Amino acid sequence: MPTFIPASALGRDGKVAPSNRIVVGGIGIGPRGREVLKHFLSQTDVQFVMIADVQEARREVVRVMANRQYNNQDCLKTRDMYEVLARPDIDAVLIATGDRWHALLSMLAAKAGKDIYCEKPCSMTVRESQELADTTNRYGRIFQSGTQRRNVDNFGFAAELARSGKLGKIHTVHAGILPLEESFKWLPAEPEPARDVVDWDRWLGPAPWRPYNKDYVQGRWRGYYDFHGGAALPEWGAHTVDLCQWGASADHTTPISYEADGQTIYGKYANGVKLVMRLAGFKGEGNWVVPGTCPVRFEGDEGWVEAADTGKIAVSSPKLLERGAPKEMAGTDPSKHVRDFLDCVKSRGKPACNADVTRRGHIISHVASIGWRLGRKVEFDPVTETFVNDADANRMCSRARRAPWHA
Amino acid sequence: MKLIRSLLPALLVVTLAGPVAAAVSSEAASLAVLASDAGLPEKARACQELGDMGGPKSVAPLAALLNKEHLADYARSGLEGIKDPSAGVALRKALPTLEGRFLAGAVNSLGVRREVAAVPDLQKLALDAKRGVAAEAIASLGMIANRDAAKTLQQVLSGGSADLRVPAAHAALVAAAHLAKVGNVAAARELLESVVKALPPGQLATVAKNQITVLGGKP
Repeated sequence: MPTFIPASALGRDGKVAPSNRIVVGGIGIGPRGREVLKHFLSQTDVQFVMIADVQEARREVVRVMANRQYNNQDCLKTRDMYEVLARPDIDAVLIATGDRWHALLSMLAAKAGKDIYCEKPCSMTVRESQELADTTNRYGRIFQSGTQRRNVDNFGFAAELARSGKLGKIHTVHAGILPLEESFKWLPAEPEPARDVVDWDRWLGPAPWRPYNKDYVQGRWRGYYDFHGGAALPEWGAHTVDLCQWGASADHTTPISYEADGQTIYGKYANGVKLVMRLAGFKGEGNWVVPGTCPVRFEGDEGWVEAADTGKIAVSSPKLLERGAPKEMAGTDPSKHVRDFLDCVKSRGKPACNADVTRRGHIISHVASIGWRLGRKVEFDPVTETFVNDADANRMCSRARRAPWHA
Repeated sequence: MKLIRSLLPALLVVTLAGPVAAAVSSEAASLAVLASDAGLPEKARACQELGDMGGPKSVAPLAALLNKEHLADYARSGLEGIKDPSAGVALRKALPTLEGRFLAGAVNSLGVRREVAAVPDLQKLALDAKRGVAAEAIASLGMIANRDAAKTLQQVLSGGSADLRVPAAHAALVAAAHLAKVGNVAAARELLESVVKALPPGQLATVAKNQITVLGGKP
């Protein structure tokens, strides 16, 4: 009997040969994770093989999604994320569990030899931001945070105007943020579902214990101090502060002082450039020129530019658009960002939102929120990454992880 | 519509978060909560507040919670935040009395605090399979990364049980990074060489070799 080998197995017929595919596993894939996963699945050089989620309903949705894409039944599901990390055939993981797990799982994945695409915010504290970058770098892993806006056209266009000098000397960059707040309350206890339906202990992971309530596992965990670091500042700051770092050509450093005035925090870099973190929102809060969430504005002594998630852009002079406006692309669209990650998995290059970029962008958000909590100006050393002569602020840079979870 | 759906989680921050509680309470008030018959949420929060602003007075009340279900990790949050050495002493003293998750937590906190005085305790735990926290003790020795901690890691790498060599290698990489950062390159290199010798060729050995190269030596 002759043996028939499908063309796809040989990399013909428009397919990538299995040996050239990046084998990917997912951990904690809810609604946003599935949006990102869609873009992984659409890449011909990706084979998504396993989903780990502490919620059966979610892991089943993802398993069906992958199997439908590949027209087979090969995608496996598990409650235990360590099963994904233990598989030697998995090259990379997509992590979208929620903030409490992001840094720790990313570090465990790096130690297991996986490359990592991790949704944002990637850390709960200053210390986690440092550990995450140190660990992924130490193990030589490719890391991309899910702060995709560096790979969205209008934001890239705005940053390029700032970085190339077309706005003159940059003096102020503005990052849109959500209202700063944190709740310490616990929702009423509800009976815990069976472990195979929702594994509450695993859902909590390194976050401190509290009783089960379905609201948390259905995505309404944001705003609670134990699950959402930095008083919600990193929620959008992971995007907008990061973009300001880029626009100000400041990826190598952080501001050295931070002072809150209500819901606005004024940061200042050593070179005098100001970083203004100010309210934005879903209803046009903050008087931004361009409509849309996650707005940023870069101001130089010869002009300014503003961009937001609608894909639109505003500039101080039509001259800045003489070479054409950028294509409108939603700020939430991760398609180019996912491709950037996959290309770097192959080339071993640095993706746009690599571990070092993520470290500083996240540290700024956490540091700013600590200043806000203390209600006074704080000074920060970008080299030692500690507050200057400020023991009260320095002790807020870390939180204990619930045992037995550790990196 | 898609944009709104994907941003919905962030919208919930605005609508569901409770009252802002940025105001800093006093150490005395938090200690009074711990001493009272307040509920778990209040005591849990009091522990966290003591981590932010507590001093030596807070150590004993927090240490008393290290074996209390649901509060032990909050107590560790408090003790990790208190820089006074008495917090480290309390964690060390608690080690013989703790088991399971509680013991693993205290061991981790000693590593996070980089408690040099705890190295002998951690060495014992690293070499005592019966206590069940050898891997956690090894990880904490990696975080502390002084000469004695490094020696124990080398001991586990060269003669320890096979299942502890991998955690010891990970801890050695952490310790080597710290040693190199503080200028003790020779000790860092020695530790990395122990990893290369102890493990078969593979990811971890390669990472160690790469680190040796970065330090300026031949792997």
